[in-house]
Amino acid sequence: MSKPPRATDWYKDAIFYEVHVKAFMDSNGDGIGDFGGLTARLDYLQELGVDCLWLLPIYASPLRDDGYDIADFYTLHPAYGTVAEFRTLLEAAHARGLRVIADLVMNHTSDQHPWFQASRAGEGPYADYYVWSSTDQRYQDARIIFVDTEKSNWTWDSRRRAYYWHRFFSHQPDLNYDNPAVRRAMLDVMRFWLDQGLDGFRCDAVPYLIEREGTNGENLPETHTVLKELRAVIDREYGGDRVLLAEANQWPEDVRPYFGNGDEFHMSFHFPLMPRLYLALRLEERLPIVDIFTHTPAIPASCQWGLFLRNHDELTLEMVTNEERAFMYYAYARDAEMKLNLGIRRRLAPLLENDRRRIELLNCLLLTLPGSPIIYYGDEIGMGDNIHLGDRDGVRTPMQWSRERNAGFSTADEERLYLPVIGDAVYGHQAVNVMAQTRTPSSLLNTMRRLIATRRTSAAFGRGSIDFLRPRNPRVLAYLRRYQREVLLIVINLAGSPQPAELDLAEFVGATPVEMLGSTRFPPVREQPYFLSLGPHGFYWFRLERALSADEPYGLETSAI
Amino acid sequence: MAAAALDSLPPAVEDQLQEAGTCELAIGLLTFENAATVATVTAVIRAGLEKHFAGVPVVLVNVDAGSADATADRVTEAGLTMVRARLEAPVAERAAVPFHGVPGRGAVIRQAWAIARRLRARALVLLEADVTSVTDEWIDRLARPVLDGVADVVVAAHARRRYDGTITNLLLAPLVRALFGRRLHQPLGGPTALSARALELTLEEQPRPSSRESTDLWLAGAAIAEGLNVWEAWLGPRRVESRTRTTDLPGMLAQAVGGVFTLMERLPALWFDAHGSVAVPAVGESSGFLDDGPLVDVGRLVEAFQRGVRDLVPIWESVLAPETLGDVLSLESDDVGRFRFPDEVWARIVYDAALGHHYSVIHRDHLLRALVPLYLGRTAAFILATRDRDAAGDHAVLERVGTAFENEKPYLRDRWR
Repeated sequence: MSKPPRATDWYKDAIFYEVHVKAFMDSNGDGIGDFGGLTARLDYLQELGVDCLWLLPIYASPLRDDGYDIADFYTLHPAYGTVAEFRTLLEAAHARGLRVIADLVMNHTSDQHPWFQASRAGEGPYADYYVWSSTDQRYQDARIIFVDTEKSNWTWDSRRRAYYWHRFFSHQPDLNYDNPAVRRAMLDVMRFWLDQGLDGFRCDAVPYLIEREGTNGENLPETHTVLKELRAVIDREYGGDRVLLAEANQWPEDVRPYFGNGDEFHMSFHFPLMPRLYLALRLEERLPIVDIFTHTPAIPASCQWGLFLRNHDELTLEMVTNEERAFMYYAYARDAEMKLNLGIRRRLAPLLENDRRRIELLNCLLLTLPGSPIIYYGDEIGMGDNIHLGDRDGVRTPMQWSRERNAGFSTADEERLYLPVIGDAVYGHQAVNVMAQTRTPSSLLNTMRRLIATRRTSAAFGRGSIDFLRPRNPRVLAYLRRYQREVLLIVINLAGSPQPAELDLAEFVGATPVEMLGSTRFPPVREQPYFLSLGPHGFYWFRLERALSADEPYGLETSAI
Repeated sequence: MAAAALDSLPPAVEDQLQEAGTCELAIGLLTFENAATVATVTAVIRAGLEKHFAGVPVVLVNVDAGSADATADRVTEAGLTMVRARLEAPVAERAAVPFHGVPGRGAVIRQAWAIARRLRARALVLLEADVTSVTDEWIDRLARPVLDGVADVVVAAHARRRYDGTITNLLLAPLVRALFGRRLHQPLGGPTALSARALELTLEEQPRPSSRESTDLWLAGAAIAEGLNVWEAWLGPRRVESRTRTTDLPGMLAQAVGGVFTLMERLPALWFDAHGSVAVPAVGESSGFLDDGPLVDVGRLVEAFQRGVRDLVPIWESVLAPETLGDVLSLESDDVGRFRFPDEVWARIVYDAALGHHYSVIHRDHLLRALVPLYLGRTAAFILATRDRDAAGDHAVLERVGTAFENEKPYLRDRWR
């Protein structure tokens, strides 16, 4: 199977696209998206400019948690297609230079999984595959994550006559990673899918693999030992270009150990950054963003942060203070139905009241801050949500391809769709769809394509350091991204009104800022502060071009002849 | 035009020639604003003559390009029998001195040749007045093969630091090798020696070189074409102490390569039919590189290449063949560590540029300067390919570059009209 000829650390430059197979395209008319449909839409993704698809769970599942309750690690959900069709998808993606990673739920299984059913017997090889206890008083320091639905992390099993441990829903028993057989079994699962051609995994809920009395059961050293074991085997057996992306909804200093010394996860989400982007936008000041980066530790050179604006879950507010959370609810979720657990279950465009400038501004931040951007399917066209659907289904509705029936997603009867298409007047598929936006040069989709294409012109976006400038105007966020000899200057107006900015660019006197989206050369930097004016929520991406002259030697000049 | 007319010299020089008579060995010294260094060089000349050529009639031939400093006084202090000429280059040339440090170098060299002929010298050794690493051995190594009658032209080759001479190693040397069929390591090495036969050739060869082309390379090419013996002399390190030589890399590249391209255009007979290449006899041998030299920022070189890709494609489209341009644009430069620049592509780039120069597809200076990012990219690839290897590894890589230029020469010939 051909692979895109890229460096082993390709993920540092990549733009990821998070997609649910069931939501993207239905090729067989059963109302549920599938591998065939996704394969047919790869050209769209290639034209968008993304590098890697992240597939939400694709395995057999009773779907009580949208696939995060896996009932068989070796079987694909039949509605999505066969292993052969999955391989066809991978081959077609690779042929287009796209990579594919998939969710893997390591922490737990569905209670329907044969391992759990066998474990309930209390004897045999699977007896210790899960965390069992005769009492529900162990590990009391571990918090309950799904506070809206769960009252305890223990649930009684009448067959085994014991409690089983679960950090999430009660139908999702935690695997027992103290059991070496479980670790070997999970490694075999990973090998199986990597052998199909998968380029890596987004590993779900990794902080919770190991439990210890007297701890909160998160981020324990033993968990890191398990993860390092997995990474070492995968690197050794698969040549070092498969990626492991951690889902660890933690503070940056707690996430840092998941990178190890470059020997654990390649990537991890930067959860605390995301709500602060929204905060900064709403407060119209840069402090929340600058502050979170001040508190973000350095990571190994081979590692990368995963940045996102929205995903398939609620906009999680676990990693903000109580005051910030209250403000976020006030600003973005005044309707109680918009809230879920400690978060807001809304898509990007509705969160921003469909304000095109603010949508572009947040995408500007996503594409220019340090890390690899992850775009949630549909956000590139400004899809809406349906807060009246249960749980997080409101942000998982069918992709809107056209104004045709079922938004061009499926030929099935409307009633058979896994979820209804968004149909309201503002965000409905009649108004928001790929086909219309493709034909409209100024559409959000085409703007996203331009932004992504521009990002791809410089490795500094993915690999560069960040230095924040301190303009007097707090509504202006400005930072430098440096990689090797290239310096990019990003200037953003977080306010909804025009703002001036005076930037201290003394280090770059003589350099010419070249605006990257339009290739426009701005006046050169001089000794005085560099003055810019920005429109409401406006932004600039500059490349600082220094003159190729004798005052900037290559080291060859005195002896080149 | 009669040979005598070509050989005419200013009256002031004629007067000095009358006084000097004839000599066995002429030492030519080209000067321009070298008051700070020329005494060092003349002292070495003096010592070298005493050590290696005691009793041999010698005349110092000093041709100055219009110095305004005390160069002339310092030369006089050498106390050698001397013939001197002053040949002021136009003001514009003196204001922007070429990479070799002597404005109007071609005319200055030809003046030195003419004087040496009139002195009936059996050998002329040309030295530069700002190269302070010169030793008495240099004079011996350059002059000896000529006086012994085995060589007609001796070209210098210097011991250099590792990534010195990248224009020479990656462009001039392989190009000259393919054009003339001789493997000269440093075709523009600076010092040279000529026999009386070669001096006659400079008088008789038609057409004679113009001011724009490289006079040094014309000499090598014409000598090879005439069947004269061209040698190489391995000298020591070359340390230049100059206030006037340019360090503007694009300018250096444009001057050096432009000189070759102009020569190719004016005198195709010198190079068109040459096939393959042979090594030239050498005095001494290469001792590898001196040291690693200053750190070269490979990332910046690749960035410069990438900027070229971004900004110069419209110019390259005018100069490079579509296939060549396609090859250039497909070079993967995102990952600096893996950047590669195939030799065949590089050779065709240079040949396309020579053809573009020949046919004047765009302003020639623009064409030559548009080569700079490509040269920087090729240099980056060379450093990346060799930095973990030794001198033998460097040599092997450069040998492949030279072979590529030879192999691709039919591409050039087929398109040259």
